Amino acid sequence: MADNKKNLTVELNRVEGDLELKLVVEGNRIVDARAVGRMYRGFEQILIGRHARDGLVITPRVCGICSTAHLYAAVTAIETAWQCPIGPNGTRVRNLCLMAEEVQSDARHSFLMFAIDFCNRRYRHHPLYPRIEEAFQVFKGRIYAETIRHTKQLLEIVALFGGQWPHSSYMIPGGVTTVRSRKELIRVQTILDSYLRWYEDSIIGCSSERWLALRTRDDFHAWLDEKQAHRDSAAGLFLRFGREAGLAGLGRGNDRLLSYGAWFEPEEWQPPFRKRPCRRRAGFVNGINGRVEEFVEEKIKEHIEYSWFARQSGSGPPAGNRTIPEFAPNSKRYSWAKAPRYDGQVVEMGALAELVVAGDPLMSSFFREQGATVWLRELARLHRPLLTLNHMREIVRTMLGPDFEQPFYLSPKTVYSGSGRGLIQAARGGLGHWVSFADNRITGYQIISPTTWNASPRDNLDRPGHWETTLINTEIADLENPVEIEHIIRSHDACLVCCVHFLDTGRKLSFGLGPTR
Amino acid sequence: MGDFSLLWLQSAACGGDSMSLLGLENPNLIELLGNQGITLLWHPSLSPERPRQLQTIIDAILADDRHLDLLCIEGAIVNGPEGTGLADVLGGRPKRDLIGELCARAKFVLAMGTCASYGGIPAAPPNPMDVTGMQWRNKEPGGLLAPDWLSRGGLPVINVAGCPAHPLNMAQSIINLLIQGTAMVLDEWNRPQESYNTMVHQGCTRNEYHEYDMEETDFGGRGCLFFNLGCQGPKTSGSCNSSLWNNQKSKPRAGVPCFGCTSPSFPKNKDFFKTDKIGDVPVELPTGVERPNYMAYKGLAKAAAPQRLKDRTTGL
Ligand code: SF4
Ligand code: SF4
Repeated sequence: MADNKKNLTVELNRVEGDLELKLVVEGNRIVDARAVGRMYRGFEQILIGRHARDGLVITPRVCGICSTAHLYAAVTAIETAWQCPIGPNGTRVRNLCLMAEEVQSDARHSFLMFAIDFCNRRYRHHPLYPRIEEAFQVFKGRIYAETIRHTKQLLEIVALFGGQWPHSSYMIPGGVTTVRSRKELIRVQTILDSYLRWYEDSIIGCSSERWLALRTRDDFHAWLDEKQAHRDSAAGLFLRFGREAGLAGLGRGNDRLLSYGAWFEPEEWQPPFRKRPCRRRAGFVNGINGRVEEFVEEKIKEHIEYSWFARQSGSGPPAGNRTIPEFAPNSKRYSWAKAPRYDGQVVEMGALAELVVAGDPLMSSFFREQGATVWLRELARLHRPLLTLNHMREIVRTMLGPDFEQPFYLSPKTVYSGSGRGLIQAARGGLGHWVSFADNRITGYQIISPTTWNASPRDNLDRPGHWETTLINTEIADLENPVEIEHIIRSHDACLVCCVHFLDTGRKLSFGLGPTR
Repeated sequence: MGDFSLLWLQSAACGGDSMSLLGLENPNLIELLGNQGITLLWHPSLSPERPRQLQTIIDAILADDRHLDLLCIEGAIVNGPEGTGLADVLGGRPKRDLIGELCARAKFVLAMGTCASYGGIPAAPPNPMDVTGMQWRNKEPGGLLAPDWLSRGGLPVINVAGCPAHPLNMAQSIINLLIQGTAMVLDEWNRPQESYNTMVHQGCTRNEYHEYDMEETDFGGRGCLFFNLGCQGPKTSGSCNSSLWNNQKSKPRAGVPCFGCTSPSFPKNKDFFKTDKIGDVPVELPTGVERPNYMAYKGLAKAAAPQRLKDRTTGL
């Protein structure tokens, strides 16, 4: 290694699970990066041999932060195998719960995980710093405290149908376990109203209609200049500060975005499940021309060249693969994550990808201008809840009205063998479960979580994963305080518990930031 | 800031217990810490500092320069692969070793959730990474720490069981330790007795159906889930139906069988949604009942069942 190169190990908290980044810097520029998680639990192995339905109890526990998403993927995997019809209100309830999880996750991400880094000493001379601290400081900040108070209430929606959040198993093949009742739906409506009011008053400083009228980047800047209330709102402060801190020029990946599409249409999502009738459409954006290509499930492949898995685990389409861990220190392998690729390409997942793929005008306008950056990923998470809340209110209205009598559950005929896949859109991106059964026992279970796409290691062609690519060439102003790295990784709302695991290269590991020699 | 110090670490966890704690009401999390004068030294998802500052804190605790009143562990203890503990490392060291050293300094140790208590889901067969709980291996005493281990404050690891642990049980355990210290009473599985002295079955909205033996055979109904659908409420110590989740419900209230996640034997190794039976009778009956008495009572109760239950007209 040349003398001007240094190895750095950066460890990150405030991501779900622990993450370690092994970086090589030349001067202040990152020239190589490896994303390494540090923990392995083996869920897919635990599922083998269990009853077909057990995934409904086991897989929500993969992740305490998106347990609803895992449950939805697990039940969908069974349904596509069993080819059983789904009560349309079952799908409505599932969608509502998934949306509630998403909306709370977006606020907690922005204000409990991301904004904290604005309080970094790097920014203490910035004129807005006192206001940033007043709003976003851990525990003491006004918005921080309000976020804890209000996000909790959204999860009551999941509890109304599922009994608790996190970790319930109320989605069952054919629908949900819920007994039909207006009481629950009216409670959901009041929760949504009160959340929206908070979001309008504190977060955006205007009505949701005013915000949703923003369709271009010029609209957005005009909004910001329009009123003090807009500039002083949490979103106004957050986004203004973010721009001044340079986040709009930071963390640009390769602009390849993937979304599986969100929220199955209740009437149309039925056997044989060939099409994906989604409210937010699925697709793939290749580069910045903004063209959205059709999403093709078969284009998903995973590789294990640099991962701690036995060769017989297999590469290629996940359905044919197995998870067989193989501990082999002192080799080129360095992660428990597999390397998923779409059509052979490294892609980015998340809120921004989901909205650009779905053709959201505001997001697409900014994306055409600046590509996928830290700032834009954050804007996506402030913007998405308003779209989602609107849709939630619409669902509740129709369920209280014309759809009330539709079934919540259709008892399935049990099928003893088969294979299926559950691909849904979680808060952090596409989540996939691939399952096969024989005699009602699970013979294969493969999970690819959203963060696995972002945090993936190198693949069979030595191509770095999304974070790795994004970090390479980043300039870090102060190696002792590498807040740029934290912004980049956190802008993906990293959730490592369900995907990546650990490293032992056999080299000495240093703790925190500092050269390893 | 008070001087009751709390350090929270995650080992092989899903983060569910931390997420559950964020849902705490009356007090909420901020109030819990503030009102009780608790100094939060570190929490992996909430602390603004970087992990290297954690190392400074840990060093000070290990050197006895800083006292540690309460160590909270979330997630199972990892021994794999092949006994190395390297499937869960912090700063290049197995977390297992670090947690062991911190336990020796802590006044009290709380295992938050079933994984940290008994092993939980990652300990289910084949237990790929050879995990255990802090002081238990499922139903066997002894995990990371020996069965007779006691913290400086004179208690074994206190198991706030549940997958995830109920936020109120976590909060009450912390407050009770603050107030009662060593006098805190634990049950046979080292759970705080006060939080685990109700059965999940108690307070269930389906309980009247259970009494009259109005049992569901399929999902989506109002009846009891015990005889056919795998509910373990009558065999499980837990507060889910007395302290509701997220201010609203419990799993059985929402038509989801209780899976017994507060028990050392969670997760069971049979189909979760089915009750094993010999003939018409569940193999496992509610805790404490005599089989012949129970069956005789059930037969009578069914005959006496009110029409509103047979018709399922009772709301939930
Ligand atoms: S006890 Fe449950 S919630 Fe807690 S870490 Fe384990 S699986 Fe997650
Ligand atoms: S559903 Fe479960 S907890 Fe409720 S009454 Fe029946 S057995 Fe008890």
